[in-house]
Amino acid sequence: MTQWSGYFGLILQGALITIELTLMGSVLALIMAFLAGLGRLSRFFVIRALATAYIEFFRGTSIFVQLFWAYFVLPFIGISLTPLQAGVLALGLNVGAYAAEVVRGAIQSIGREQYEACTALNLGRWQAMRHVILPQALLVMLPTFGNNAIELLKATAVVSLISLTDLTFQAQVVRSQTGNTLVPFTTILIIYFALALIISWGVRSLERRMARGLDGVRV
Amino acid sequence: MSAPIIKIDGISKSFGTFKVLDGLSMQVMPREKLALIGPSGSGKTTILRILMTLERIDSGHIQIDGEQLYHMERNGQLLAADERHLARMRQKIGMVFQLFNLFPHKSVIDNVTLAPILTKGMPRATAEKRAMELLEMVGMADKAKAMPAQLSGGQKQRVAIARALALQPRIMLFDEVTSALDPELVEEVLNVLWRLCSETDMTMLLVTHEMGFAHDFADRVLFFDRGKIVEEGKPDEIFRNPKQERTQGFLKKIIAAGHRV
Repeated sequence: MTQWSGYFGLILQGALITIELTLMGSVLALIMAFLAGLGRLSRFFVIRALATAYIEFFRGTSIFVQLFWAYFVLPFIGISLTPLQAGVLALGLNVGAYAAEVVRGAIQSIGREQYEACTALNLGRWQAMRHVILPQALLVMLPTFGNNAIELLKATAVVSLISLTDLTFQAQVVRSQTGNTLVPFTTILIIYFALALIISWGVRSLERRMARGLDGVRV
Repeated sequence: MSAPIIKIDGISKSFGTFKVLDGLSMQVMPREKLALIGPSGSGKTTILRILMTLERIDSGHIQIDGEQLYHMERNGQLLAADERHLARMRQKIGMVFQLFNLFPHKSVIDNVTLAPILTKGMPRATAEKRAMELLEMVGMADKAKAMPAQLSGGQKQRVAIARALALQPRIMLFDEVTSALDPELVEEVLNVLWRLCSETDMTMLLVTHEMGFAHDFADRVLFFDRGKIVEEGKPDEIFRNPKQERTQGFLKKIIAAGHRV
């Protein structure tokens, strides 16, 4: 029994790494999503082209290859990253590319009449975006952002391949040391699921808070 | 005789192959109240949208208060207006829309204070004090904290009017502001317009299908058809004794549809 509690300790350590990766990756993804999403709507061709290139490239190549690139190839051009840095970079850039399209779509879903009201009130482009369009678009983005965050959580499993001791890595350690597959992999299955539930729940309550007053009923 | 505050000189505008405005010219004097009437697609709304810089013109010139709207003079040359020039010109003009276009995520008072705070750098306290005065004027002071979704159409439109007034424009454009309202809510909005008409010296352009109101409100009525002004004159002349066949036909149809004149 004491032996098993040691193994669970390992898995819990892995869970912390997974959570850390998910949080940091999500922050980077969010930053990239807004940079590239707004970039795609820019007036300037160069910015639009850069944003589009980023999105297409990172959506169009596998996260697995991106991770190996970040960890094993970048050192050849003089950039050495720790496994954690490489993991956050690959996850953030990859999921950020998907989320950028969410940002763009949500902004474009806001009706023309809102932009026209901004023009009539003489708000500048950025003022209109910041005070009128984005607050409304954010509500449209949130549910899909929740999906993206869960995708990111699950994608963290690939970092075990560059020897980062996340949940999946620790489960493999436990498996190789005990010969038991059922216990460690069922445990991490449940932990992944629980983490995903926490994300869903968090996003949903955020959504409810932000939607307050918009439909005239809940205030 | 003072100079016109709006001077439109041979403007044309097409949407695709459809020519909405065809070499249109008109002038509006300061403080004048103008009613623009005519069948849909006749170009009357497009004029308001062009004056608010929501649509660009294909050709022609517009002067607001003696200054070119879509052009700016640089070293004796007329250039296309840049965003800064347009922003400066827009300060003179306000617009109220058919569908209110309130910001749904902001309370009534925040809808009214947003633009003064952002575009004029007005301190929030001052902006809120002025907003309350305006909301008082349109009879919406008790709903200052409400969200737009909690209001009726007529209430929304009154807030939208207060929001446009908060920037103190010299020219106000009203684009079918009662067309989206239930019949019993039309009057509360018209009452507000009436107060503005009699108590302020703003120049007002009203696109409307409320012929009775247009008659009482306007100093001058313009009848539009197919991108041109077919007939214009004092309300009594246009409504009681229209000279052009097309004006007669339009008014007959409108009256048959139950609008009082």
